[in-house]
Amino acid sequence: MAMHGKDVVLENVSIKFGDFTAIHPTDLHIQAGEFFSILGPSGCGKTTILRTVSGFLETTTGRVLIGDEEMTGVGPHLRPTALIFQNLALFPLMKVWQNVAFGLEMHNWPKADRRQRAHELIDLVALSDQADKFPSELSGGQRQRVAVARALAVEPAVLLLDEPLSALDLKLRQHMRAELKRIQRKTGVTFIYITHDQGEALTMSDRIAVMKDGVIQQVDTGDRIYANPVTPFVASFVGESNILRGRVDEADNDFAVLSTPQGRFRGRNQGRLVRDTEAMLFVRPESMRISDPEAESENRFPVAFARRDLEGSFVNLFFEQNNEEFIVHLTNAGASGLDATSNAILSFSPEDGFVMAVGELADE
Amino acid sequence: MNSLIRSFGPFMTALIVMLCSIWVVVMIVAPQLIMVEQSFWHWRWGGDDAALSARVDDLYNQVDTLGLDKSAAEAATATPEQTQKVSALSAKITGLMATIQQLEKQEVKPKKIYSMRNYLIMGGGHFAIFIKTILASLAVTLIALVVCYPIAYTVAKLATPSKAAIILLGLVIPYSINELLRIFAWLMILNHNGVANFLLQRVGIEPIAFLDSGAGVFVAMVYAYILFMVFPIYNTVETLDTSVVEAARDLGAPMWKIHWHIVLPHAKPGIAVGSIMTFMLAAGSYSVPYVMTRGTSPPWFTQLIYNKFFESNNWNTGAAYAFTLLIACTLFIFVMMRIFGVSIKDVSR
Repeated sequence: MAMHGKDVVLENVSIKFGDFTAIHPTDLHIQAGEFFSILGPSGCGKTTILRTVSGFLETTTGRVLIGDEEMTGVGPHLRPTALIFQNLALFPLMKVWQNVAFGLEMHNWPKADRRQRAHELIDLVALSDQADKFPSELSGGQRQRVAVARALAVEPAVLLLDEPLSALDLKLRQHMRAELKRIQRKTGVTFIYITHDQGEALTMSDRIAVMKDGVIQQVDTGDRIYANPVTPFVASFVGESNILRGRVDEADNDFAVLSTPQGRFRGRNQGRLVRDTEAMLFVRPESMRISDPEAESENRFPVAFARRDLEGSFVNLFFEQNNEEFIVHLTNAGASGLDATSNAILSFSPEDGFVMAVGELADE
Repeated sequence: MNSLIRSFGPFMTALIVMLCSIWVVVMIVAPQLIMVEQSFWHWRWGGDDAALSARVDDLYNQVDTLGLDKSAAEAATATPEQTQKVSALSAKITGLMATIQQLEKQEVKPKKIYSMRNYLIMGGGHFAIFIKTILASLAVTLIALVVCYPIAYTVAKLATPSKAAIILLGLVIPYSINELLRIFAWLMILNHNGVANFLLQRVGIEPIAFLDSGAGVFVAMVYAYILFMVFPIYNTVETLDTSVVEAARDLGAPMWKIHWHIVLPHAKPGIAVGSIMTFMLAAGSYSVPYVMTRGTSPPWFTQLIYNKFFESNNWNTGAAYAFTLLIACTLFIFVMMRIFGVSIKDVSR
C-alpha cells in the first residue's frame, strides 16, 4: 500500500497569539518520506507547528509549503495532510470501519469502494476482527490504530501525530512505537511526530528537532543529537547528563579546560568558547567511570556515595559533592563497581565531555 | 428498597417513600385523574328540566340585581321617598324568592352519565382548529430548531468563553420580563402601524398584515420559547469534543457535512428534548395566540378549551378537549423519541 510522502518546508514561519509569540521565525525542511519528530517540553510550541502545517492555524509571518505548493489560505480539509489528535478524536457514534471510511466518503468515494478500502486499512493496522465494533468497545492501543487507519485512509502525503501515545501504558507504548515505524516504512508517508518523550523521538525518528520556547534549538538525527548536543538545553533534555559548572581557563578549537569547584576538567569545546567564559561541562552518565584510586589521569574528582537504584539491565549510582549530584550508569553485564556503596573517585575521558556556554537547562 | 433501608434506616426510608408517594399522587396522578374523570361524564336533563334550571338561574340573577338596588337605596339619605323605595324593592325580592322556591320544588337533579360523548361531540370546525394547532405547533418547533441550532452551536463551540457568556446572557435577560409584556412588545412591533411596518415604509414597502396573516403568532412563539430549544441543544453540543469536529474537517469534510455527520447525531438527545418542550409549550400556549391574533385569525385549540370552561361553562367538554391535546402531545413525545432514537434515559439527562 504505497503512498507518496511530500516535503514540508517552513519558510521564516512565526506565529503570534496577541502579544505572545508561540513560534519565533523558523526555517525547517522536512524531507519527503521522513519520520521527523519535534521534541520539546509542554508549551514549547510544537503543537502550534503541527496545527500550522495541518492548516488549523495561519502563520503570522512566512509560509508553509507542502510538496512545493504554498499552503497559505488553504484550509485543513484541502491540505494533503492528516492529523492524529492527542486524544485521537475518533467518531464515537460510528463503527470502526465507518470511522476509517469517513475521510473516503468526504472525498466522494463510491460506497462499495469505501468499505473495501476501509477494510484494507484496518488490515494494515491489524484490527480485522474489530471492524464492526464501536470505538468505546476497543482498548487504548486498538483505538490508537483506528486513528492511524482513519488518517491514512485519505492517502495523505504528510501524517501529523500529536503525542498520540501519551495515553498508553509503557508496554503498549513500546509496541506502538514499532508499529508506527513499520507503518511509516510501509506507506512511505512523511510523518511529523510531536512528543515530549525523548525515548519515543530517539527510537522512531529519522531526524529530530528539539524545541524550546518557540525556538528550534537543534535539528539532526537522534544519534548526533545525543552525541553532540549544541545547547545546554538539548544536552539536558535529550538523555541525562552530569553537569560541572565553572569558568574556561584554557581553550583552543577542539578542547577547553574548565576550572570548577570540583577541580579542573578538560572537554570538547563544543561552543567554541574563549577564555574566561562562564561555562558548563556535560558528561553522559554512561561515560562517567568509577576509577581506580591509584591511577593517575586527568578529569578525576572525589565524590560521596548517595544511593543506588537498580533499573534491571543497568544500575544508576548517585554521588554527591558540594551539593551537586552525579550519576553513573553501569550495565549489568559484569561491570565492576556495580555493587558500590562507598565513596569513590569519578573520571571521564575528555572526548566524552562537552563544554558549552552557560544556558538554560531542561526542568530547572 | 433494601439498599434504602440499609443506608437510611427504616424510619427515614418510610419517610422518603411516603413523601415520594405524596408527591406522585398530589402532583402527578390526582390532577390528571380528576381531569380525565371529568371528561368522561355529562349531565342528562329530563324534559324541560334544562329550561326550568335556566329560569331559576335567571330569577336568582334578578334577585341579586334588586338586592344591589336595595342596598344602594338604603345607603342614600333617608327621605320618605327612599324608605318607600326600599320597602317596594323588599316586597319584589320576597315575591321572586317565593317563585324561586316554587320552581325549585319542581326542579329535578340532572343525572350524571358516563360516556365517550364529550370526545365525540367535537364538531368539524373545532377538529380543524385542533389539527391546525398541532400543525402550527410543529411549524413553530421546526422554526425554533432552525433558529436555535446555529445559536447553540456558536455559543458552545465557536465563541470565546466571554463572548459565549454574553450571548447566553442576552438570551436569558428577556426571560426576566413577564411573558405577557414580551408578547405585547411584539404586538407593538408587528402591528399594522407598528415599528416593523414603519421601517418597511421607510424603504418603500407597503405595510404587511403580520398579525392578521397569523405570522405574528409564529414570531412571538419562537421568541417566547427559544430558550427551551437553545439550552438542551447547547448542553449536548457542548459535550462534543472539539477535536472530533477538527478531525472531521481535517479528513476533508466541508462544514455542512461536519454538521450532518458529526454534530447533529451527537446533539440528537438535545434536539429531541428541545423539540418536545417547544412543541408542548406551543401547543399549550394561550396568551400568545390570544394577544397576537385578537380574533383576526382562527383561534388556537387552547382558546377553545378556555371557552368551554369559562364561557359556555361546560367543564366536561373542556376536560375532554384538554385531554385530547394531552394525548396528542404525548404521542408527539414518543414519535420524537422514535425518530431520534433516544430513550427516556437520554431525555431526562
